[in-house]
Amino acid sequence: MTLFGERPVRGGKPEQAKAHDAKPGAGKRTIRDLKVGEVAHIIEFLDENEALKKIEAMGLRRGRKITIMQKLGRGIVVKTSNSRIVLTTDVARDIEVK
Amino acid sequence: MNRSIKVALAGNPNVGKTTLLNHAAKTNLKVGNWAGVTVEKKEGFVNHKGYDLHFVDLPGIYTLEPISDDEWVAYNFITEEKPDVIVDVIETTNAERDLLLTTELLEFERPMVLAFNMSDEARRLGIEVDRRQVAELLEVGMVRTNGRNGDGVEELLDAIVDSAESNRTPKNVRYNEQIEESLGRIRAKGRDGGLAKRSLLRALAGDGEEKARLERFYKKDINSIIKDERYAFAHGFYNETFRKRKGYNRDITDKIDKIALHPIMGFFIFLLVMFLLFKISFDFSTPFMNWTEGFMNDFISPLALSLLSKVGAGDWLPRFFSQAIIGGVGFVITFVPLIGMIYFLIALLEMSGYMPRIAFIMDRFMHKLGLHGKGMIPLLLGFGCNVPAVMATRTLENKRDKLLVMAMIPFMSCPARLVVFSFFAVMFFVHPAVVIFSLYMLGIVIGLLTAFFLRKTTQRGKLSHFVMELPPYRVPRLRTVLQIAWVQVKSFLYRAGTVIFAASVVIWLLLNTPPNLKSQSDSAAAYIGKAITPVLSPIGIKDWRVSTSLIPAFLAREIVLSSMGTIYSVDVQKTDATFSLLPAAREQAEKLGEAAKESFLSILTPGINTLRADDGEQGLRDVIRSSFTPASALSFMIFLLLYTSCLATVAVMAREGGKKFALLFLAYSFVMAWGVAFIVYQVGSLI
Repeated sequence: MTLFGERPVRGGKPEQAKAHDAKPGAGKRTIRDLKVGEVAHIIEFLDENEALKKIEAMGLRRGRKITIMQKLGRGIVVKTSNSRIVLTTDVARDIEVK
Repeated sequence: MNRSIKVALAGNPNVGKTTLLNHAAKTNLKVGNWAGVTVEKKEGFVNHKGYDLHFVDLPGIYTLEPISDDEWVAYNFITEEKPDVIVDVIETTNAERDLLLTTELLEFERPMVLAFNMSDEARRLGIEVDRRQVAELLEVGMVRTNGRNGDGVEELLDAIVDSAESNRTPKNVRYNEQIEESLGRIRAKGRDGGLAKRSLLRALAGDGEEKARLERFYKKDINSIIKDERYAFAHGFYNETFRKRKGYNRDITDKIDKIALHPIMGFFIFLLVMFLLFKISFDFSTPFMNWTEGFMNDFISPLALSLLSKVGAGDWLPRFFSQAIIGGVGFVITFVPLIGMIYFLIALLEMSGYMPRIAFIMDRFMHKLGLHGKGMIPLLLGFGCNVPAVMATRTLENKRDKLLVMAMIPFMSCPARLVVFSFFAVMFFVHPAVVIFSLYMLGIVIGLLTAFFLRKTTQRGKLSHFVMELPPYRVPRLRTVLQIAWVQVKSFLYRAGTVIFAASVVIWLLLNTPPNLKSQSDSAAAYIGKAITPVLSPIGIKDWRVSTSLIPAFLAREIVLSSMGTIYSVDVQKTDATFSLLPAAREQAEKLGEAAKESFLSILTPGINTLRADDGEQGLRDVIRSSFTPASALSFMIFLLLYTSCLATVAVMAREGGKKFALLFLAYSFVMAWGVAFIVYQVGSLI
């Protein structure tokens, strides 16, 4: 880890997403798998629930470019255009990215 | 008579709705830089161009699909109360996100005004709105506003009146041809043709035939179709009206966050911020508190007494004045500098945008304890005042999280308790700062234990996810921060003038009942105090004067001090010095200057300076000291910390969590307070 917490980004080789609770999205790359400083695009929501609906209304929508600003415990800070949103890993794993 | 216009202020959270209303209606409503400051609808009234504008400021919502209680408040108002004009406040720098709600609001087809707020930040980021394009596309009023200085608020009022006068509804929001065709057929079927688009869409989702046709065509369910159409409209509208010039990026938020949200440094910064909060509160206010005390005792009191003796007042009036007014109300008023400084600093913290970041940093620990990270915000607010903190639990989406946090809040020590602590800790302990800090920590620990206990018994269940927005950092405006602090100080002074005054008068009357007593310990006040002393003596409170003071303290904790002030003033030795106005006034002015100097100097030194053990000063403190030992003083403070002796908190808990919950909690906190105080007193007495 560098001084200001940017973990070096290992490019090119996307880490295999860990399977979780045999959810339908298992095996796909999601926000949970991204590292601090990594940039990606949202391609799909893998589930339908209130939390995801709210996240979508908060600006994390299909096609949006996102940057991972920080990860801490189960919290992930995601930036898209001018807003920064904290999500927990249990919802982050339902948002597929590329 | 003026025509009245009902205006709803709607918009995403933290876009500046309340700030705009404060500018427009000269209100002093609570504002802050985080999502969820407003959790209840608030009102403001403006007279503009012969119209009475009745503003209703709503809690922020991202979409008209409410989940949490505060979102329901906004949703119900918009859908049920039919405002004459909807003002949709949009954070210009985040318009692409905000326009989803705008699209949903347009579907109501009611007169609407778009307020593109934070125009100053947009300019800095090179974001521009094409005003003519907006007007042409939607036929709604549109203004640029700046909540920081109130720019554009006049125009906003003009636009509202204009929209209401013309009753101009927004131009039809058009979705995809397939949907519009279906909507056309639904409209034709309808008995009354005047349904707004929103109602038509709802009818469409419930119409088997049209629904099936669309779902076949789009290959997805009707709710997703409608949702995606709304997003598409919002996105298209954004692209046609917004321009972003390249080369503007002077946002410092990301830079600060690299340190403030850092897994290790972030935690230390949080501790540093908390330490500074306490240090500055104490060091800055103590010299002023000492001055206020001197001003009361050496100026106001002798001045009033000499005036009273000049007009030939009898015996009881001067006595009433020095015991109930100076001893009771005046005693509590000396703490105004401390209260003011704490509220000033908390407001500064709230306006900066740091608050929700604390929730992020602390979620690590909160999560392990089975608590919601977002619950951190109500808990932090609890250190300012428990009442708004309980209200703030409305932003929590899950009933279980809400009750857990609500059961912790009353253990977060508020300034009213701090006032009592700072008085007692200084009298009895060598390191008062350590004692006060430990009391705060004890409150937090008991809160956590309570949550833990509840989670193992009545509030089981999985911890829910958490989603929260982090606002950009903003440099707080001094004026706004002072205004927020002033509202709190005013309410403290108001309590001093009303409930504290009333309690002091009642105590004084009871002290003098029956009349012409030789000794206070035969009075009605002593009788009442002695009656409850058996309950309190195991925790070290054996003096009726202290027990009596605790009874009215249920209204608000600081009353324990005013009551003790009233009772103990009787025993304070009066020095009969001659009083002359001018030299005394000059002396007070000089002392105030010295206090100011001392305040600023002590802030600049490390450590907490002003909280030093008291060196035996004469007067009220000395007399009160005689009733306590260090062990009983500590147990007394613990009792007051843990027992929910604040009527306002119990009332708001009853409203937000149910009467049963509030009463059970009240009993629980009493038992807890008594138990912990008992252990501390018994162990302390052995040492």
